Amino acid sequence: MSWKAIHRWLGLTIGTLAVVLGVTGAILAIDPVQQAWQAPAAPGDLAVAPLVERVTRTVPGAEEIRHLPSGAIVVFSFAGDQPQASYVDPVDGRVLGAWQASALPRWVKNLHRSLLLGDAGRWGAAGIALAMGLVCVSALVLLLRRMGGWQRLAARVRGSLAQRIHVVAGRVVLAVLFLTSLTALTMSASTLGLVALDTRTEPEVLSVVTGKPALPGAQLATLQSLAVQDLRKLNFPGATDPEDTWKVATAQGQGWIDRYSGQMLAWQDATFAQRAYDLAVVLHTGEAAWPWAVVLGLVGASVLLFWLSGVVIWWQARRQAPHITGNTPLAQADVLIFVASEGGSTWGFAQTLQDALSQCGHRVHTSALENFRTTAATRQVFVLAATYGEGQAPAHASHALEHIARLNASAVPVTVLGFGDRQFPAFCAFAEALDQTLRAQGWPTLLPVECIHQQSGQQFAQWGVALAQALGEPLVLAHVPRVPPTAKLTLMARQDYPGATGQATAILRFAWPAQGLGARLRGHGLARFAAGDLVGIVPPGSAVPRYYSLASGWEDGFLEICVRQMPGGLCSTHLLGLQTGDSITAFIRSNPGFALPRTRRPVLLIGAGTGVAPLAGFIRRNDRRTPMHLYFGGRDPARDFYFGPEIQRWLGEGRLATLQTVFSRVPDGGGYVQDALRRDAERVRSLVAQGAIVRVCGGRAMAQGVAETLDVVLAPLQLNVAKLKAKERYAEDVF
Amino acid sequence: MSKPLLTILATACALALPALAHSRPVTLTAQLKNYGGDGAYLAAYLTDAKGAYVRTLWVAGGKAKYHKHLSDWSRLSAGDAKRLDGVTGASVGAGRTLKVTADLADALIDAGYEIRIDAAAEDMRDSPSEVRVPLSKANAGKPQAGKQYIQSVTFQLQ
Repeated sequence: MSWKAIHRWLGLTIGTLAVVLGVTGAILAIDPVQQAWQAPAAPGDLAVAPLVERVTRTVPGAEEIRHLPSGAIVVFSFAGDQPQASYVDPVDGRVLGAWQASALPRWVKNLHRSLLLGDAGRWGAAGIALAMGLVCVSALVLLLRRMGGWQRLAARVRGSLAQRIHVVAGRVVLAVLFLTSLTALTMSASTLGLVALDTRTEPEVLSVVTGKPALPGAQLATLQSLAVQDLRKLNFPGATDPEDTWKVATAQGQGWIDRYSGQMLAWQDATFAQRAYDLAVVLHTGEAAWPWAVVLGLVGASVLLFWLSGVVIWWQARRQAPHITGNTPLAQADVLIFVASEGGSTWGFAQTLQDALSQCGHRVHTSALENFRTTAATRQVFVLAATYGEGQAPAHASHALEHIARLNASAVPVTVLGFGDRQFPAFCAFAEALDQTLRAQGWPTLLPVECIHQQSGQQFAQWGVALAQALGEPLVLAHVPRVPPTAKLTLMARQDYPGATGQATAILRFAWPAQGLGARLRGHGLARFAAGDLVGIVPPGSAVPRYYSLASGWEDGFLEICVRQMPGGLCSTHLLGLQTGDSITAFIRSNPGFALPRTRRPVLLIGAGTGVAPLAGFIRRNDRRTPMHLYFGGRDPARDFYFGPEIQRWLGEGRLATLQTVFSRVPDGGGYVQDALRRDAERVRSLVAQGAIVRVCGGRAMAQGVAETLDVVLAPLQLNVAKLKAKERYAEDVF
Repeated sequence: MSKPLLTILATACALALPALAHSRPVTLTAQLKNYGGDGAYLAAYLTDAKGAYVRTLWVAGGKAKYHKHLSDWSRLSAGDAKRLDGVTGASVGAGRTLKVTADLADALIDAGYEIRIDAAAEDMRDSPSEVRVPLSKANAGKPQAGKQYIQSVTFQLQ
């Protein structure tokens, strides 16, 4: 079983019970915190002898002094027939009030340790602790795999909201949660009798009656040299039994003292098992230090958070699980499709490919990549491979590469299609590694390896055109991704530009439909968004959404995009034809790799054409006046200086620190944006040396030109774009 | 004679006697107070006129880890390897009653022997020799109060 399977199934099953233990544990953490406020801790240098003297003075009939892990002193006594337990001020022996072991109802603790089921429940609780330990270990393995190693553990987490909650919270509390499981197991081991803490019996010792009067506790040499902070418990000798002894317990062990001579009659060192157990109790309960109890309480409560987010993650993955229809058995298939998918969306593309090939008369078999093989009937093989984290294979296909490297190549062409996200430094790295391995083994290919960015249906269709040509068949890949729930957006205002080359462009502003909390929790309506996120718009007459970068966040109260007329573009035509008051259906797709983190570092924004939109959104929300520097490239200031007036205003307000504009189609316009960067090389270097974060938005050619220019500009700093990307300081939004 | 040897002899007699001489069942009933804690651990045992341990009558509470909190019993009975054989049961909840029966030789009655009960509960203080009842005909059926946990304890001779 893989770590992922262990983590998922233990979490979903036993995790449900772990929630009970976590929440009750969080409640139990109240006790140490509350007790810390009830009584002062004993001063560090106070000896036991003076404490005994004070206590005998103020508490008649004192029988036992306990030094609690919190540092407070409790004295047990009898007032007549009534047993008493009181907090005592160690400084003057004053009685401060009654002591209670816990302010909580007992069932809370019993639910926590035995699920209210007695001994069977204790075994159950220990089993849950063991399962939680395993969940923690598997979580660490998965976390390191996801983040790409120890060095990148602190890096930004990407993924859905539930994934981010799960991973970010896990990073913080994993160690404490694991410690809690280990200490729980340590405690269970002795309670369930698996480990004996101390098999010795107490020595049979008696005070030797000599006729002399008993010594007062304050005069016992042992108690004079023993500090209260080392004391656990001191039992006074019984008033009615002349042979009884003093009994003193410390972390090191326990001793018996003659009440007449003050001699230590016997001493037993604490066993290793006992010390380990004591340490486990302190770490598990937080009773020795209330701040630790607070930490434990929060960690206990976080189990609920993990479970909830874990269930959501599992549910999301399940919804995207592969359901391939019309699969031909392997032996009869002439076309094989192998899939490596992390979230499950790649299977949807495989289904589209399978359907299209089947329509052309092929018998197609689709399977997971780890099953890679060919048969006598095989004529074509396609591998659709997503990349996970730092260029790794999706978990289910983690050994596929080695498996393929061991196979002997045949004459059947194997074509690789990668899926990934350009924002990750290792975009499609796994697909490329697969392709290299296959070529090195000598497998032919029908088409060179191609990488699909962000599950783009359009790019997939283009690959389909190339495939149809290569196969010589009328194949059409019309991939219809599952569209998330959409919301209706109404156009508030539009700002029209003639566009640089006669293609009309407009900035469209839609009203943001505010959602109630209930609707948001149920996932209804439009998700919250920030500038740089994407809005998916499904034009009438199409099932495939088009994505636009957002120039505003939900806090702005509106949703703004910049749309340029694409020749024959269904969606841009639809959007540019909208009148104020018209509405569209849309959904939000977060783009966490591009969004700006909260930062005091300088921000270098580089945009061309409509690519300035998300950058304008960043500047608009720059209430903290982070130094933002914008390089804007257009063609003609009279035609395509999008957001021009706003940008000038933001410059005046200090939201934008500096502005450099270049226009390529006017005399002395300055050329392209990369020319401006090259001219400002000194300044760009200085900004990057200060730790600047870089965001680039525009067409692919522009983004490539900018990256090449910056590689040259940054070379003296021993830096380049790849290194900045790896440090998450450089992100592109490319269209 | 050394003390352990005496103890063993006494134990042997007490255990062997019933087979030879007359013995009778003794029912011990302990009613617990509502002391507001988890189930109490109790150890009822017999000591002789010199206070030496004779035999264990009953131990309520099965976790050996906590038996040291029944400190007098734990210490006194340390030499008795069979002290738990057939005389253990569950801990006794606050306000509940423990009722156990033991066969005791006639010779033990009115001979200075004592029934002692040690008591302890989690997070509360240990109460060694919570109650001590001389094993005499005169005491039979007379309730005795304990120090902390036991409301009353009574033994009946049959």
